[in-house]
Amino acid sequence: MKTPIGGEFEEAHDHEHHLGAMQRLDAPMRRFADDDEVDYLVVGVGAAGGVLLQRLARAGFRVVGLEAGPFWDTEKDWVSDEKGSHQLYWEDMRITGGENPLTFGANNSGKGVGGGSVHWAAFTPRFHPSDFEVYTRDGVGVDWPISYWDLKPYYELLELEMPVAGPAWYPWGDPHGYAYGPHPMGGVGDALIRGCTKLGIGVSAGGPVAILSGSRNDRPHCIYRGFCIQGCKVGAKASTLITHVPDAVRNGAEVRPRSMASRIQLGKENRVTGVSYFDREGREHFQKAKAVIVCGYAIETPRLLMNSACDEYPDGLANSSGTLGRYLMAQAGTVVLGRFDELVRMYKAPPAHALTEEFYETDPKRDFARGFAIQTVGPLPIAFAKQMMVARGSWGWGMRRVMMDYNHWCAFGVLGEILPWPDNRVTLSDERDQFGIRIPHIHFSLHENDKKLIKFAQGKTEEVMHAAGAKETLNEARFAHLVGAARMGKDPATSVVDLFGRTHDIANLFICDGSILPTQGSANPGLTIQALAARTADYLISQGATVFNSDKRDLTPPPVRPHLSPPGTHGKGVPRFG
Amino acid sequence: MLPNERFNANRERLPIDPRTDLPLKPRAQPGYYPGFSTLSQQSFWDATTREVVRKRVHEIPPFRFFKAEESRLLQIICEHIMPQDDRDAEHRIPIFPFIDERLHAGRTPGYRFENMPPDGEAYRLGLQAIAQISQKAHGKNFIELDWRKQDELLKSIHDAEPLPGAEEIWSRMPVERFWGLLVQDCVEMYYAHPFAWDEIGFGGPAYPRAYMRLERGEPEPWEVEEKRYEWKAPPACVSDPAEPDIAAHKEHPPAGQGGTH
Ligand SMILES: Cc1cc2nc3c(=O)[nH]c(=O)nc-3n(C[C@H](O)[C@H](O)[C@H](O)COP(=O)(O)OP(=O)(O)OC[C@H]3O[C@@H](n4cnc5c(N)ncnc54)[C@H](O)[C@@H]3O)c2cc1C
Ligand code: SF4
Repeated sequence: MKTPIGGEFEEAHDHEHHLGAMQRLDAPMRRFADDDEVDYLVVGVGAAGGVLLQRLARAGFRVVGLEAGPFWDTEKDWVSDEKGSHQLYWEDMRITGGENPLTFGANNSGKGVGGGSVHWAAFTPRFHPSDFEVYTRDGVGVDWPISYWDLKPYYELLELEMPVAGPAWYPWGDPHGYAYGPHPMGGVGDALIRGCTKLGIGVSAGGPVAILSGSRNDRPHCIYRGFCIQGCKVGAKASTLITHVPDAVRNGAEVRPRSMASRIQLGKENRVTGVSYFDREGREHFQKAKAVIVCGYAIETPRLLMNSACDEYPDGLANSSGTLGRYLMAQAGTVVLGRFDELVRMYKAPPAHALTEEFYETDPKRDFARGFAIQTVGPLPIAFAKQMMVARGSWGWGMRRVMMDYNHWCAFGVLGEILPWPDNRVTLSDERDQFGIRIPHIHFSLHENDKKLIKFAQGKTEEVMHAAGAKETLNEARFAHLVGAARMGKDPATSVVDLFGRTHDIANLFICDGSILPTQGSANPGLTIQALAARTADYLISQGATVFNSDKRDLTPPPVRPHLSPPGTHGKGVPRFG
Repeated sequence: MLPNERFNANRERLPIDPRTDLPLKPRAQPGYYPGFSTLSQQSFWDATTREVVRKRVHEIPPFRFFKAEESRLLQIICEHIMPQDDRDAEHRIPIFPFIDERLHAGRTPGYRFENMPPDGEAYRLGLQAIAQISQKAHGKNFIELDWRKQDELLKSIHDAEPLPGAEEIWSRMPVERFWGLLVQDCVEMYYAHPFAWDEIGFGGPAYPRAYMRLERGEPEPWEVEEKRYEWKAPPACVSDPAEPDIAAHKEHPPAGQGGTH
């Protein structure tokens, strides 16, 4: 057996809390007492919750983040291994149905500080201006209560805070450039570029992804090991665990891990007073707060609000509109697999490293509204075997044979817009989880436009795969990402929160996560979710104490506060066009 | 059994060398990457990963979930879903014990289809169904059937057109969902093992060392080049058709389970 010079790598036996290979959690964490009424209680320290905590703490608020999962030490808790990474996923039971039932767990749901940003692939395209007005433009879905231009300054901030690596010129949507250099191509990106170029389709190489292409401060560059979806031990891929939470803690925020919120309490005068939660030993507590922000993502957020039903809100807290849980969306994520005579070895390089948005916008020549993107994906062996079960019907010796060819296969993912439909929804089942909390039931079915879009997108992606040189293609129908189920809107009768994430019904209850998105475009949602969180934070800071002591609803847009970015991010990087 | 007897007893179950039409002898490492060993690289892995893989290889969990008879049946079924007759006895990958362990621990993938019972119960029902079908079709226990008959019975479940005998069970549990559950668990256990990584040429854990040769499918200095050979599936097996075999769910393909982008 070969050993590295200096011997094998030793266990991390020091007492430090590791956040990637270099970074350490360097400040002691504050602990608020349950009966100490904090300013903001944030439920869920994921993609949005992490950004929100960081901003609010920096602005001087007393904030606590309740997080159902652990506060990861990346060196001690994470592995470079597919099967060993289940702990990163939200694997509490959910029941799934409808004509096209969604799968959860590894497919779309994170648990632990960082939430889904721990195991995302880290594609970070912006939404296009058209995404904010699909009803006006195409007569489908619904318009957002804000425009692209409202969010643009926050895209620009978050792209530096993560930061995002990508090409100097990105041509789609609102064209812009990236301050940090793009990544080299792996076998899959190479194939995507080859296929697209042959067909005259524009393609973006090496980003946009929230993965470091060069080392920066206490974070090393990507080492191209391909385990992004299993959590990046290196610390090259952004997750709020390493980008925002350390700064939040340094500024006095408390992150309370292994604390599962079970109920938001409504007090007198239509105001919430705090949250009941279960600690790691299963004991119940109640944390008092002046205001509550739910950041549990598209299934857990509506679930928590429904489980908080009370006399005043029998159908779920803040659900006077009846829209809570409705308009849940997933993106069409069909994977097209191609077999090449040459070797590809798709396990190398981050799964996310090249894409095309050439088909993103509505095209009147097609028989459906809206569009899709084509992106690189890089399934590791277990994921690939499961794809072969679906796509090829493989088992037994057929499975062994196709798996022996693993290194000849290459995979592209469609990312297609599925429209918001009221019958795609989260409700409560009668079954209960380990804490005795009712578990969610999810109903999901595709509609006509969705089916046409998927069919076209799959065909186009197969065409690109063939143009790249594949001799055989297969496809696996699947869905990626969740958004919606507590959507924002202007009209309290048809939406749950206003344009800043405040629930229409209760003035000191907010929602800030993927669940508030009215539509989803064909861009991966993570960047948009975090940009919205930074915007909500600016709003809350502008509102100051009025949130805590009045029901006044002021919708004046807040100023953008770049000085609240984590240190060393804003104003760094080489500025590009746009 | 002596190695030779064992070889002869299982001849029908061994892959065939098309050049000679003779069975290929079981070997330590099937696949097209002779000499490639991920475990030989483990001192380049981080300590936590090394420990997780070591445990997987050396600590086989005890049987706790299934009853003795169920265990015998499921073990045989696992040998059909992920056959390993081409591997010598020292290099087989345990599958059943890890399924038993998952169900004992009550770990789920994070969801259950609304028309499915909980995973443990689904397994029990599925095993019952297979036992009933075997009785009805052949008047024998599944375990007593010859290998090809067993394979054909399972193929009927794969096709979602199960041989008669368990209609009542399939009315409570869609046959294609049971199949999906079973196959996914089997492949998860098999392809989690470093022997399987060696077989398919997957580089395995790579932190902190990294990969550096990203393009054109070239191997790292410590990986090996592919050396292909031809093989035909064993005569007693029906699981290796030349063409994709998804007739069972052409209309409603099951959605993928793993995360991608
Ligand atoms: C495999 C995979 C690949 C992906 N790839 C991409 C990609 O390339 N690009 C992209 O943009 N997006 C990607 N995503 C999606 C992205 O990760 C999510 O959209 C994003 O993380 C959602 O952010 P959020 O803040 O809304 O929720 P989350 O990040 O999921 O955070 C929610 C947090 O709340 C906690 N929580 C929930 N309920 C409770 C409760 N009751 N009490 C306490 N805590 C609770 C959870 O544990 C979790 O930590 C991917 C997702 C997956 C699974
Ligand atoms: S490929 Fe890069 S970003 Fe992904 S896990 Fe490895 S080092 Fe991290």
